[in-house]
Amino acid sequence: MTNMIKRVGVVTGRVLNQLRRDHRFVGISLVFPLVIIYFIKVVFDALASPSFNISVYVVPYAAFIIHFITFILTAIVLVRERTAGTLARMFVSGYNPIEIVSGYLLAYTVLATVQSLLILIELNWIFELGYDLGQLASIYLVMWVLAIVSMAIGMLVSNFARNEGQVFPFIPLVLLSVILSGIILPIERLPEWVQALSFLTPLYYVNEVIQKLIIGDGLFDDWPKLIGLLAYGLIIVSTATLSLRESD
Amino acid sequence: MKQTTAVHIQKLDKNFGEVKALKSVSLKIETGQIFGLLGANGAGKTTLIRLLIGSTKPSSGHLTISGFDPTKGKRAIRKLIGYMPQSPALYEDLTPRENIHFFCQAHRIENISQRVDDVIAFVGLSERAHDPVYKFSGGMKQRVSLACALVHQPKMLLLDEPTSGIDPKLREAFWEHFRELTSKGVTIIVSTHQMNEAMYCDRLAILHQGVLLANDTPRQLLWNNRSRIKIWRGEQVTEKDLINYPEQLPGELQSYGLDSSVSRIEIEEDTLETVVLRMINEQEAGYLKEAKDDQYD
Repeated sequence: MTNMIKRVGVVTGRVLNQLRRDHRFVGISLVFPLVIIYFIKVVFDALASPSFNISVYVVPYAAFIIHFITFILTAIVLVRERTAGTLARMFVSGYNPIEIVSGYLLAYTVLATVQSLLILIELNWIFELGYDLGQLASIYLVMWVLAIVSMAIGMLVSNFARNEGQVFPFIPLVLLSVILSGIILPIERLPEWVQALSFLTPLYYVNEVIQKLIIGDGLFDDWPKLIGLLAYGLIIVSTATLSLRESD
Repeated sequence: MKQTTAVHIQKLDKNFGEVKALKSVSLKIETGQIFGLLGANGAGKTTLIRLLIGSTKPSSGHLTISGFDPTKGKRAIRKLIGYMPQSPALYEDLTPRENIHFFCQAHRIENISQRVDDVIAFVGLSERAHDPVYKFSGGMKQRVSLACALVHQPKMLLLDEPTSGIDPKLREAFWEHFRELTSKGVTIIVSTHQMNEAMYCDRLAILHQGVLLANDTPRQLLWNNRSRIKIWRGEQVTEKDLINYPEQLPGELQSYGLDSSVSRIEIEEDTLETVVLRMINEQEAGYLKEAKDDQYD
């Protein structure tokens, strides 16, 4: 067990070391979401109406941006490991799937922590959300968990792709989550069979919890949805670990 | 030194769907040998190496490395082996030192830093140890890759076309490294499709379309094959096989004595390339016959 923890630490250290030098990747991960959110602000300003409650939409939209960008970047990085042969070399060198997935998750969690924080600061600043510190901290926590779950989804998808190009067919599924999560319109208005599918996207749980936080409820007031998000993450991480194969 | 079996392969088959990558391959590899896997692309060399490192499971048959089954207890096997894939398989943003350090940290090795420094010196990259790998030439990357495979001092090295795409001087240096390692008791299994390199091996397995055509020393493979004598008398050329060249040669030449009409004598020896090509042609001819027979079954 101690050795396994050490090896997880080694993988985390190596990924962080690479991130430290890959300025372009870190730049895209941190700056792109901020730019997109700024453009959302431009659109909302154009639609401005006194009766329009921006925060109901803008916070879940920001969550979706985190979800999408984190998913796509993680999937591509992991596929690159496979195509470059470094993943196979890691296996032959004695690392196992648990160590590899955990190491990556921990390293990218550092990035997700910064990414979620910057996004929330920008949201609060440009949209003047006016939330208290407790609300902001709760929203931050939910976004942070979403970023980690999105990474795990990216890892899972990368296990089924042999090259970067094969990641792109999965993008429509992520885009579909905008509809299924209820961030555009309440899912109660959708047909029942579509509502049943909403459980398959982490954005559904995130949106449900965020909507409660926006109206001033506590983080644990809708605890089943919060547990749902954590359970969803756990299932995805486990599936990504079990499906991480050494060879085709 | 007493020879022990490092690798034992019995009736090994590997299928990828309809494609039969290896067909009933059986061979033994002795400890401390450089064992070459020779064959064209698609011959089954990489598949055999991947089976040996435990990256894929055989469809049928059995193989052991130092008595261990690579499909079971992978961790034990992976301490014993060092693997160098065809592509360098390195993290280009990292330095050689960081790459080597990372790949050896999965094993419990004492004094890692010293070991990493030693292996970098061994492949002659001490002066570039702190430069990122993306600044390196293809040959330098191959050297880093070799260092990654060597760092935990494996008892067996599996090298998948280690010298492809590198210059002749570096190739020479690699083979010197390999010879140095075998002198310390390391077994090296190396795949190649370059005939001149194959001659450096202690023993060669010739593979074609997943079939093991021969398993012998390079010298024996050449001796088992033909040499020819060509004699010119003006425009007329006589060609004859020499069965026991070079022993038969004086007797053969004697029969021509001081015949002044002989204007030129040429002796053609089989190269490893012609030997391998002949084996492949014979095997393919055999296959065609089998395919024909099948059609009429």
